[in-house]
Amino acid sequence: MTYCFYICVCLCLVIFQTTIIPHISLFNNVYDLLIPFIIYLGLFRPAREGILFTLVSGFLMDNLSGGPFGLYLTTYFWLFIVVKLVIKYLHARNNILLLLIVAAGVLMENIIFIASSTMARSDSHFFAITIKTVFFQILWAGCTGFFFITFFNHIHKKLEQWFNGLIRDWGIGDR
Amino acid sequence: MVIIFGAVALIVVNIIILSVNSSRYFSYGSGRSAIFFIAPFQKTVTQSVQFLKNIWGNYFFLVSVEKENADLKRTISRAIDKNNKYREIEISNFRLRNLLDFRKTMTNQVLVAEVVGQDPSPWFKTIIIDKGKSDGVEKGLPVVVPEGIAGQIIDISCNYSKVLLIIDRNSAVDALVQRTRDRGLIKGQSDGRCLSKYVLRKHDIKVGDTVVSSGLDGLFPKGLRVGYVTEIVKRNSGIFQEVTVMPYVDFEKLEEVLVVLDSPKHDFVSEQ
Repeated sequence: MTYCFYICVCLCLVIFQTTIIPHISLFNNVYDLLIPFIIYLGLFRPAREGILFTLVSGFLMDNLSGGPFGLYLTTYFWLFIVVKLVIKYLHARNNILLLLIVAAGVLMENIIFIASSTMARSDSHFFAITIKTVFFQILWAGCTGFFFITFFNHIHKKLEQWFNGLIRDWGIGDR
Repeated sequence: MVIIFGAVALIVVNIIILSVNSSRYFSYGSGRSAIFFIAPFQKTVTQSVQFLKNIWGNYFFLVSVEKENADLKRTISRAIDKNNKYREIEISNFRLRNLLDFRKTMTNQVLVAEVVGQDPSPWFKTIIIDKGKSDGVEKGLPVVVPEGIAGQIIDISCNYSKVLLIIDRNSAVDALVQRTRDRGLIKGQSDGRCLSKYVLRKHDIKVGDTVVSSGLDGLFPKGLRVGYVTEIVKRNSGIFQEVTVMPYVDFEKLEEVLVVLDSPKHDFVSEQ
């Protein structure tokens, strides 16, 4: 059930991000919506389960993007690791942390992307556009990231409850 | 006998009075007082009747009107939806006709493809189209639209392909200025524009000049429009000038594209 949920969320976010968002000018500078999902996996799910889907998501995005292969894989992997380390040492899952962590995740992704882009070549236009894009992405992340993580957590819990109830009703667990 | 005579006389007198009165209007004081007393009651009753009529007309009768209104709203909603569909079909028809006209002008064999997705990252400019290996699409094929060059195929699956747009920083097109025939290399910029690199300072290029593909990159057919010059920067030192080119293609609104199937093959394609 959990894996089904992960696959559904992952596909929905990727499809939404590549087909709907580009057509809405309001979301021109919206951040990568898979970041809250990766952070959710890091914060609330076991490492073994989370890392698998972190890599699957990264692989999927790398295949859809025009960037160098492995860019998303790298970003998501390190984001997941950082989140795991943060909750291990800070022992915190409060709302303020959620607000900050998504914005920090978006900043981290952008730093990796910009670093890979400027490695190839840089120009004056690039930095002007970069600052604006990163600023708006972090703003979006700060405003909405928390809700995404809460939503994922809530839906996952509800689905698990429903599924466990279904198993109990059918008596599968008794056998 | 007397009674009969009296009655006849009364009728005659009555007729005479009526005939006299009918020829001319007489107003008597009793009439005014009657109006004075009766009219307020008349008014009250009339208003009451009117009030009841209004209640009936505006509330009870509206029960059926409400139903009719709901039906009409549904009908309008369906009509709007249908109208929207027709408008979309009309626009799509116009766009496809445009594409068809452009296709006729091209001597190359082309394949029409629909854009199904865009790059998830704002840092890279690629699109996904609904034609792939099974349709004869190969890596490295040029992708064009009536407005000009869109990009080239960089990745293919069985039924879909990834197109690197010319505004991507990793893209390069060998091009020349249509008026002066001066060559340059069109590279994508981060802001949706392109930069024509390696254009010699001595060349007389002006803002507004059209830039077309040179065909020398062995990829894009010669003479396809790329964009127009928007800015020229000649620095104090260096042998080249920086020419900014705005693509003719509106990449935000790409919906259908043409893949040129028989373009001149580049070496790297066969190497893949």
